[in-house]
Amino acid sequence: MWRLLHLLAIGTLIGSAVYVYTLKYQAIFEAEQIVKLKHQINKTKDEIGVLRAEYEHLARPDRIQELADKLLQMQPLALNQIVRPEDIPEKNAQADSIGRKLESLGLGPSSSPANGAAGASPSLR
Amino acid sequence: MTAPDAPSPKPDAGKRAFGWVRDVLSTRLNKSAGRIRQLMLLIGVAYLGIGGKLVHLGLSREPPQTLKVAADQAAAGARPDLLDRNGAILATDVKTLSVFAEPRNIIDKDEAVELITAVLPAVDARELRERMNSKKGFIWIKRQITAKEHDEIFHLGLPGIGFWPENKRIYPNGPLAAHVLGFVDKDNIGIAGMEKYLDTQGLTDPHVPGFAVDPEALKPVRLSLDIKATHALRDELIAGLERFKAKAAAGAIIDVDTGEIIALESLPDYDPNDPPDMTKQVNWPKINRVNVGTYEMGSTFKALTIAMALDSGKVSLGSHIDARDSLRSGHFTIHDFHATHRVLTVPEVFTHSSNIGTARMALMVGVQGHQAFLRKMGQLDRLQTELPESAKPQVPKHWGELNTMTIAFGQGLNVAPLQALMGVAALVNGGHLMKPTFLVRDEATAMANSEKVVSDQTSESMRYLLRSNATHGSAGFANVEGYYVGGKTGTAQKIVGRRYSNDKVFTTFMAITPADKPKFLYLVMYDQPEAAPGDGGYHTAAYNAGRVTGALLRRVEPLEGHAPLLAPPAHPFPLIARLGYGADADKVGKE
Repeated sequence: MWRLLHLLAIGTLIGSAVYVYTLKYQAIFEAEQIVKLKHQINKTKDEIGVLRAEYEHLARPDRIQELADKLLQMQPLALNQIVRPEDIPEKNAQADSIGRKLESLGLGPSSSPANGAAGASPSLR
Repeated sequence: MTAPDAPSPKPDAGKRAFGWVRDVLSTRLNKSAGRIRQLMLLIGVAYLGIGGKLVHLGLSREPPQTLKVAADQAAAGARPDLLDRNGAILATDVKTLSVFAEPRNIIDKDEAVELITAVLPAVDARELRERMNSKKGFIWIKRQITAKEHDEIFHLGLPGIGFWPENKRIYPNGPLAAHVLGFVDKDNIGIAGMEKYLDTQGLTDPHVPGFAVDPEALKPVRLSLDIKATHALRDELIAGLERFKAKAAAGAIIDVDTGEIIALESLPDYDPNDPPDMTKQVNWPKINRVNVGTYEMGSTFKALTIAMALDSGKVSLGSHIDARDSLRSGHFTIHDFHATHRVLTVPEVFTHSSNIGTARMALMVGVQGHQAFLRKMGQLDRLQTELPESAKPQVPKHWGELNTMTIAFGQGLNVAPLQALMGVAALVNGGHLMKPTFLVRDEATAMANSEKVVSDQTSESMRYLLRSNATHGSAGFANVEGYYVGGKTGTAQKIVGRRYSNDKVFTTFMAITPADKPKFLYLVMYDQPEAAPGDGGYHTAAYNAGRVTGALLRRVEPLEGHAPLLAPPAHPFPLIARLGYGADADKVGKE
């Protein structure tokens, strides 16, 4: 009886020790992963910094100006290119050339079948 | 046996055996004195030991350092990014690797030196050997190496040679705004400009023990500069510099409502990525002429004089000033450059840029009043901005009537152009004098820190005068259609030897837009410009600085989102219109 209890205790001891060590090694492994990731994050951040600096360098105004002068046919803004909203001419009455032609042929909206009923109503009154 | 006569020796023996224990545990007083003495001795010895170690540490020259501490202290510190007002990067840190050596851990120093110098030809072998043999535990071999160099040294596999990441300061825009940004040294310590300002404000991580700043916590600093406007300014200044064969040029744009400097350039300039470029000799020094140079501002200073006369109430816009004869004082005679020989109105004094007229107006206010006004406008004291560089104006020691007369039209008082800019900005923004700033600032903060120096009416009169000078006076070249520009030229003769020279001039131009409610004040200056072909030999401000300002304004205003006006404002000057003046600035001046 006692011997069995002893064996059980020893077994539990060894088991828990093994369990604790696995936990410990797992924790160490995770910690290493964290450090690795942190390094990677820092590295990527540095790379982002380099790329941003490079972007700014490529987008610097004197380079853009040089490229624009060479490749684009743009002109400086002139005053006569700007119009006030009031100066825009009024919208013309909608020109419905087909409708006008139909009317001249005697096929105007009043005589068209779709408007027949509505067109007839005033005369009915 | 002798059982009865030998009565138990056992207790005695037991007493003797445990006697020492009892001795130790005894609390009798006769024992404690000795014990206390022993204890004191022990403690004394311990303290002596500690003291001795302290003295030893104090005397030893080089405290033992761990590698990390050594490298950390030697490495370049982190700095915050500098951004322009729209968030474009003006300066940033980039991580690079530097190679170092720990001479104590190097087995064969000669071999190491040989191999390293084979990879890094720029490193001097003899000097490196000397440093290797010094007693230092940590030496730099080369700072900021390239990736290729890093690979090659790494593959040498030398013990005692290592790499340390460092920050290198990068200015992606090259020389743009270099005089404002300044630059840093190898250790990333600010040497000039805003970079130095960052250090003085504790915004950087300089690796001072006990003042560790987390590099992640360094927030980018936003400057008031606009990189696009700055580029336009630099581009136009350079074009003018070549066209007018001037020695030097400078310019600035200031927001008159907030005092923010939108652009500032001074030529010749340098590339802050390459600090030795700063000291590379050219014929003309590479200083920030807007901040550090002091100049006789010439006729642009007349704006201050006329504002003073108007604000004092001794002169009104309708007053007549006698400019018929040259003004004599002692053996000096003041002439007019564009002599009219008649009685002028105040707007005419301004548009004809009459020296006699402005001198007379200054005399009406008097020497005391003149000095007090210029002091109030910040023209007589050193102007300190965020930039560490500044200059003290050169004020005449004995300021008599003659000084007042010449200073009235901008000769005899040397001020930093930024100072004059601040003064004129105050004249046109409603009379609020505010210190220029290179950091972003909103209007409310600027107003709260400003001082009212002239009345609203005086300010409006000045805007009106500047506008009429654009339509009828010398500022016509800058009168860009659609922006209701006002402006003033200034041509100061340079002193050569002890005399004012006729052909060597210093020209300035100031322009405001729109004149009825100015937003930007432009300043352009040229040092010793020559007449361009086709200008009839004129090298006065209107022909060089004025033209450049016009071209600049045409470029910058649309960039800043200011739409051109298709018609001039209907009531540009309501206050003085009520008094019967300036109903139409475009007609005045001719009368």
